Amino acid sequence: MDTITITFTLNGRPTALAVTPLTSLRTALREHLHLHATKAGCGQGGCGSCTVLLNGEPALSCLLPLAHIEGQQITTLEGLDGAGTLHPLQEAFHTHFAAQCGYCTPGMILAAKALLDRNPRPSRGEIAHALSGNLCRCTGYEPIIGAVWEAAERMAQR
Amino acid sequence: MTTISLPHNIDEAVNLLADHAEDTTILAGGTILMGQINEGHLFPNRVLSLAYAGLDQVTVTPDATVLGAGVTLARLARELDLPLLSEAAARAGGPALRTAATIGGNLFAYPPYGDLAVALLALDAKLELAAARSRRDLSIEAFLAERATGAPAGEILTEIYVPRPVGRTAYTKMMRRAANSPAVVSVAVRLVLDAKGVCTAARIALGNAAPQPFRATAAEASLISTTVDAKAIAGAGDAAMAASDPPTDALATAWYRRKMVGVQVRRTLARVMQEV
Repeated sequence: MDTITITFTLNGRPTALAVTPLTSLRTALREHLHLHATKAGCGQGGCGSCTVLLNGEPALSCLLPLAHIEGQQITTLEGLDGAGTLHPLQEAFHTHFAAQCGYCTPGMILAAKALLDRNPRPSRGEIAHALSGNLCRCTGYEPIIGAVWEAAERMAQR
Repeated sequence: MTTISLPHNIDEAVNLLADHAEDTTILAGGTILMGQINEGHLFPNRVLSLAYAGLDQVTVTPDATVLGAGVTLARLARELDLPLLSEAAARAGGPALRTAATIGGNLFAYPPYGDLAVALLALDAKLELAAARSRRDLSIEAFLAERATGAPAGEILTEIYVPRPVGRTAYTKMMRRAANSPAVVSVAVRLVLDAKGVCTAARIALGNAAPQPFRATAAEASLISTTVDAKAIAGAGDAAMAASDPPTDALATAWYRRKMVGVQVRRTLARVMQEV
């Protein structure tokens, strides 16, 4: 079988994978590297549940061929917690009951992280805009927006 | 068995394409093609990826902005401030989709996607296509006409030339949701008014109002020599509706879309006249 080898940085660690040419980053993460926080949703770019960070920007891993991330920095939800402690966004999602079934949560948290890294004190409208590509069918979005708001406050106090 | 080529410049890309033009699928950001592959609709044999081909340059001159076909929608929406085009980019999909999606790829999107062409029509944009031993420029209108008949294989879209916009502009994308949804209809308007407020040039471009994005030229002509008052705006809305031949899909029926062409052209014209 024809494969290509791609090297990239995954959650701070150099990583190399040999895959078939159009393997998506989502498939590489879930099926080759067994990192299952990144969820497989619509596969079409409509739901946002496969969102990862590509050089700090939110990106849809189901639509990203691994061949396109040679030398790039990828962050998944697994890369967020340091030494067993929760990231402030994870804490706030917990306390705000912003996860119900949990399927959209990894994508929501990473899309929110990209926003807060760029804009530490966003307005509610800016939070909603940043999460506009991530569908949640459980919570009605209000607890999620509230959680991102609170995480921004906590992070600003640190 | 799929093979992929990852050329590092456009000359390499067009030469690779020339060798296998008929069975090569061109991949830009991947947001259209990968969805079709994930769905099992497409099993490409040869893929030519433009990801590393250096098509992400932006050149600003006094007369125009020249965009490489690989410039992402995220960059258009956030870092560039091009009337109509940046607005259309900002309303395409969600933020994570825009990180990968490119302006060049959007010009090959299938309906109901592909709103950037609507903005480019109102801006009188030109495109550059490259082949192994040739380059050619063509207007966005000519490009869309060729695309509708199935563009010849063997060329790669390399650059989009956007003249510095003259006049005032307004863009509307009517969606079933506030964001992350294809257009029911989209409208891009550019008007040039003289010192007395009389319209001397008009562009009204429509998306999802026909099988292809198009300029409602009768509606444009109806505004010339008017002050774009309520009567002229109503007339332009009617002319745009009359020129429409909209599709029916999961988002809207043809009947509804035609009605919305009238409503959204009138509203967009009213807005462009308010925003002095």
